[in-house]
Amino acid sequence: MSTNKYKVINTRVHNIDGIAKVTGRATYTFDVKLPGMLYGKILRSPHPHAKILKIDTSKALELPGVKAVVTGKDTLGIKQGIWRRYEELCDEQILPLEKVRYIGEPVAAVAAVTEEIAEKALDLIDVEYEVLPAVFEPLDAIKKDAPVIHEGVERNINVTRHIEWGDVDDAFAEAEKDGYIREDWFKCGGQHHACMETRAAVSSYTPDGKLTVWTSTQSPYYHQALLAGVLGLREGDVRVIAPYVGGGFGGKFELDAAQFCSAVLSMKLCKPVKIVFTREEDMIASKRRTPMYYYVRTAVKKDGTFLARESRMFSNGGAYTGMGATALYLSGFFHSFPYKWRGYRYDGYRVYTNTMPSTSMRGFGAPQAVFCSEQQIEWICKDLGLDPFEVRRKNAHTEGYEVPGQAFIQSCGMKECIDKIEQWVKSKGKLPANRAIGVSSCGFMSGGIFNWFDTPYSFSSAVVTINYDGTVELHVGCQDIGQGSNTTMAIICAETLGVRVEDVKVHSGDTDHCPADLGAWGSRQTLMAGNAVKMAAEDAKRQLLEFAYAEMGMNIVYDLDIKDRWVHIVARPERGMPYFDLVKKALRGKDGQRIIGRGYYTPHRKGMISPAYSYMMQAVDAEVDPETGKITIHEIMTAHDCGQPINPLGLVGQLEGAASMALGYGYLEDMPFEDGKLMNPNLVDYKIIRATEMPETGMIEIDTYEPEGPYGAKEAGEGLTNPTAAALGNALFHALGIQMKELPITPERVLKALREKDEAKKQKKNT
Amino acid sequence: MEKYLLKLTVNGQEYEVYINPKTLLVEVIRDYLGFTGTKRGCETVSCGACTVTVNGKSVKSCSILAMQVDGMEIVTSEGLEKNGKLSPIQKAFLDHGAFQCGFCTSGMLMSATAFLDELNGRIPKKHEIKEAIEGNLCRCTGYNSIVRAIEAVAQGEYKEERQ
Amino acid sequence: MIHDFHYLKPDSLKTALAMYAEHEDCKVICGGQSLLIVMRQGMVAPEYLLDIKHIHELSYISFDNQKGLRIGATTTHREIEQSPLIQEKYPVLAAMENKLASIQTRNWGTIGGNLAHADPAGDPAPVLIALKASIKVGSIKGERVMPLDEFFVDYFETAMEHGELILEVQVPPPAPKTGVAYQKFNLLDSDMGIVAVAASVTLDRDGKCKDTRVVLGNAGPTPLRMKNIESLLIGKKLNEKLFEEAGKISSTESQPVADIHASEEHRRHLLGVLTRRMLKQACDIAQKG
Repeated sequence: MSTNKYKVINTRVHNIDGIAKVTGRATYTFDVKLPGMLYGKILRSPHPHAKILKIDTSKALELPGVKAVVTGKDTLGIKQGIWRRYEELCDEQILPLEKVRYIGEPVAAVAAVTEEIAEKALDLIDVEYEVLPAVFEPLDAIKKDAPVIHEGVERNINVTRHIEWGDVDDAFAEAEKDGYIREDWFKCGGQHHACMETRAAVSSYTPDGKLTVWTSTQSPYYHQALLAGVLGLREGDVRVIAPYVGGGFGGKFELDAAQFCSAVLSMKLCKPVKIVFTREEDMIASKRRTPMYYYVRTAVKKDGTFLARESRMFSNGGAYTGMGATALYLSGFFHSFPYKWRGYRYDGYRVYTNTMPSTSMRGFGAPQAVFCSEQQIEWICKDLGLDPFEVRRKNAHTEGYEVPGQAFIQSCGMKECIDKIEQWVKSKGKLPANRAIGVSSCGFMSGGIFNWFDTPYSFSSAVVTINYDGTVELHVGCQDIGQGSNTTMAIICAETLGVRVEDVKVHSGDTDHCPADLGAWGSRQTLMAGNAVKMAAEDAKRQLLEFAYAEMGMNIVYDLDIKDRWVHIVARPERGMPYFDLVKKALRGKDGQRIIGRGYYTPHRKGMISPAYSYMMQAVDAEVDPETGKITIHEIMTAHDCGQPINPLGLVGQLEGAASMALGYGYLEDMPFEDGKLMNPNLVDYKIIRATEMPETGMIEIDTYEPEGPYGAKEAGEGLTNPTAAALGNALFHALGIQMKELPITPERVLKALREKDEAKKQKKNT
Repeated sequence: MEKYLLKLTVNGQEYEVYINPKTLLVEVIRDYLGFTGTKRGCETVSCGACTVTVNGKSVKSCSILAMQVDGMEIVTSEGLEKNGKLSPIQKAFLDHGAFQCGFCTSGMLMSATAFLDELNGRIPKKHEIKEAIEGNLCRCTGYNSIVRAIEAVAQGEYKEERQ
Repeated sequence: MIHDFHYLKPDSLKTALAMYAEHEDCKVICGGQSLLIVMRQGMVAPEYLLDIKHIHELSYISFDNQKGLRIGATTTHREIEQSPLIQEKYPVLAAMENKLASIQTRNWGTIGGNLAHADPAGDPAPVLIALKASIKVGSIKGERVMPLDEFFVDYFETAMEHGELILEVQVPPPAPKTGVAYQKFNLLDSDMGIVAVAASVTLDRDGKCKDTRVVLGNAGPTPLRMKNIESLLIGKKLNEKLFEEAGKISSTESQPVADIHASEEHRRHLLGVLTRRMLKQACDIAQKG
């Protein structure tokens, strides 16, 4: 471990929200209670596809305690979506006017004095439907005669994406002559965010025409803008407050029914209305990870040099676009990652179906893409008798590489990651029967360059204000959803300004007081909000130091800096003055005005995806019981390049948390639908990994410096979700010789693969 | 529906409430007494976010009728500190980063507290610690930091310095 | 939402039985770990709820060498799991309780409540039946004892008549040269079993099988005592081949129902594998004893 040159960065600091969270003081939207508050409940469609003919709310309104019932007719009927720039992708009326497109879709909402009364009222709402034929799988929905889910959308194709570079056909032709080509089909399942806090919102509309919404959100700004848009309000008249947020993972930055319906009800009554989804509602009627069918065709030279890849992907978009369009693109890009391809072609098709919409979820299409890519690479290595580490190393991205037309790679520790994991795997020696280690490489973006939201604001902003006593108010728009962004920003601010974390008070989660920020998704905040904070703190420090230069009057060749509350000459650190004294002088010098520093960041000319990419290789040590198919994960080791770690305690938390979620995606979590109905909408039947199944996890940090990131930092929250399913599949491949082409890897699928392998062996013997 | 009198001690303080007998313990704790540290994350007694201790034993307060704890002592996460001084397990959670979004944290702390109190000074094996929190789901941390925090307390790294 | 009910809290068994007999539409709650879930879903909505959780006279674990083990109905799972007596004399019971559910559920839920709920996926029943347990029930009319394998009638249905409460579970003293093993198949450690098998083997002095029981969990409407396996094995010298044959009987004669977690074929396959494994394990323990 190299010595840390920083005073605050990369030191073990307590999470600044820790005291609130470990003492029960932290309040979440779930806990918000306001005087006169009413409780809302949502009536949901029992049909996957149906016209709404009539909704009779009269009986429900008569129930004592019921204050209002709303349907689509009580709204502006605006079709909204998060891809605001593209009207055709704004396809969702949260309370639809004409038809429902998935089981669980809201059709009406009730506000009553108690939750129990609101729920009883739901049974009294009469909805007349005309049931329509429905379709549930993308490969069915894309057929010519499939039911039309959105009028005017041909073959239910919601979005397509094409990524291409190099001469793909030429490369395949070469491989056909004297190389090797392999093609495989894969099926990746959905997954639910399953945040511990379900979707929740408390809306309060007041007679002055202002709306305040407390909500569990990853982006208060997005919700402010989206709510204003659908409710016909000015953004400035909508205040979104994020109390502590109980998890997001990609599922809480789009407008959801809790926010929308509570707002509509509140606007009707001028009373606060609270809607909290039950776990069942959360599971059937939010949005999930995108299930994907992948066709992958790869051409390599006999020595393992990658030539070209041609892939086609069909995703189950569910009923609406949501963030699915982004997942479609990112999946296709990270399907090529982290390798150099002479030619690459990806065609992605997002297809509407009559199921719960699919959207972003940690990893954003990459876990699926990597599951296919990294396993096929392993099988190619086996087919050709090549070493999987050597092949990966040979083709890996390097510093300075340009993914043609897509991305500029600056810092890149891929090779070092491969070296470290290779060493680690070798050190484990021979493992017992039915047990093996599988590996997977990948990487991820540190926030996206795209502005499909069509914001006029900087992607991230920050304001640093220094008080008389030297304490610092840091206002940011980035949202802490548990990943510790408040702490990360406090660390960056403290390091830059030269103070301690305990001197910095972070303000976030309130659109009335904080600048706009795109929020916590796409693993963007450390890089983007971090850059904004660094800029703001530098601005504040520069203003502050003007007074120190004046005070100390030293030779023009000398510089001043502040470290650990000590203002000093850089060349002669023993000469200086306390930061706290300087602040007092500065305030007086500015006529009693506090120093305010401003910072912001928007990526410009950073390629098509992201300013910077993390890299990693992960090894999963797994054992299978070949008679029952049960999988036991023994250990996970990851070599990880996230540039400069800012918050080491937080980094380990991201590694372990991502591993737990990715393992779930690999072998535990499943969302089976039957005729559009989710069969396991509860936490008994939806299997989330528990402490007893969680393996030991280790991390090898690879040191790089990313010029685009604050102090060289890049992402760590999402990329770590990408490799695990593939690594697990590769472990099973080496342990039992089976190729798992479907997620999740269930015991039944393992046994089926074993049987098929034995059958194939027998057939080979007989021929 | 007639209301019944329930007397219980929560975090060292005696309370009397009149409740409909179908009221769950978690509803008394959160809605009647205002201790919102304890959370609810499911309807099927699966997630453990509602864990509190009743006479020292960890229980899921969503799975218990409040009337059944008449006369008993309940402790929630708000009751772990003493005059602002954090308990060893709370300190350990801070030191080890054993939380992220924090929604499961109150329940985790109570499962951990019950487990540590039951040990009576014995050093547990790692798998016992994992079993102690097996009933508490966490979507953020991957559990290992929580296990490390509990282990640190069990191994005596945080000797109580209470007056 | 739970429907309203009248709440009855007797302070003694006698009062409880009298109250229960008095009210027709009355359900009994002890730990409530199973009952409250179904009440919340509205599937069960009695007019009266009889709370016997704190009838301490039904909370005990006792043993003597003649009568064997007696566990009172309101004894919690955790008390059974942690009882030094049970850990010593019936370790398979303690081990089963340890994996029954989360600690929180085991702290409050009771053996009586579990058996009364009659979930065919419940862990205690197969183990207790393998241990040849009996169950004592009582009402104001009197008490009766029956073998536990006759207690379960159908999915979530027992042989109890209205007004009867479970009073205690009775397990005969451990026999020499006897091994009992239990395993459930699940993805997560303390989940209900997708399927489960309990097996007991008693060997005679010549090492032949003197007595055996194989009980399948979650393989039918009630725990299934596989009498055909008993007749296959008793009197024989046990070996792998016999264990495999026993497994085949479990596979073919069980009645598992498919759901999203596993198909019927997979359950049958697992029952065969677990039967073979548990018989072997029980046999190994018996040989050492």
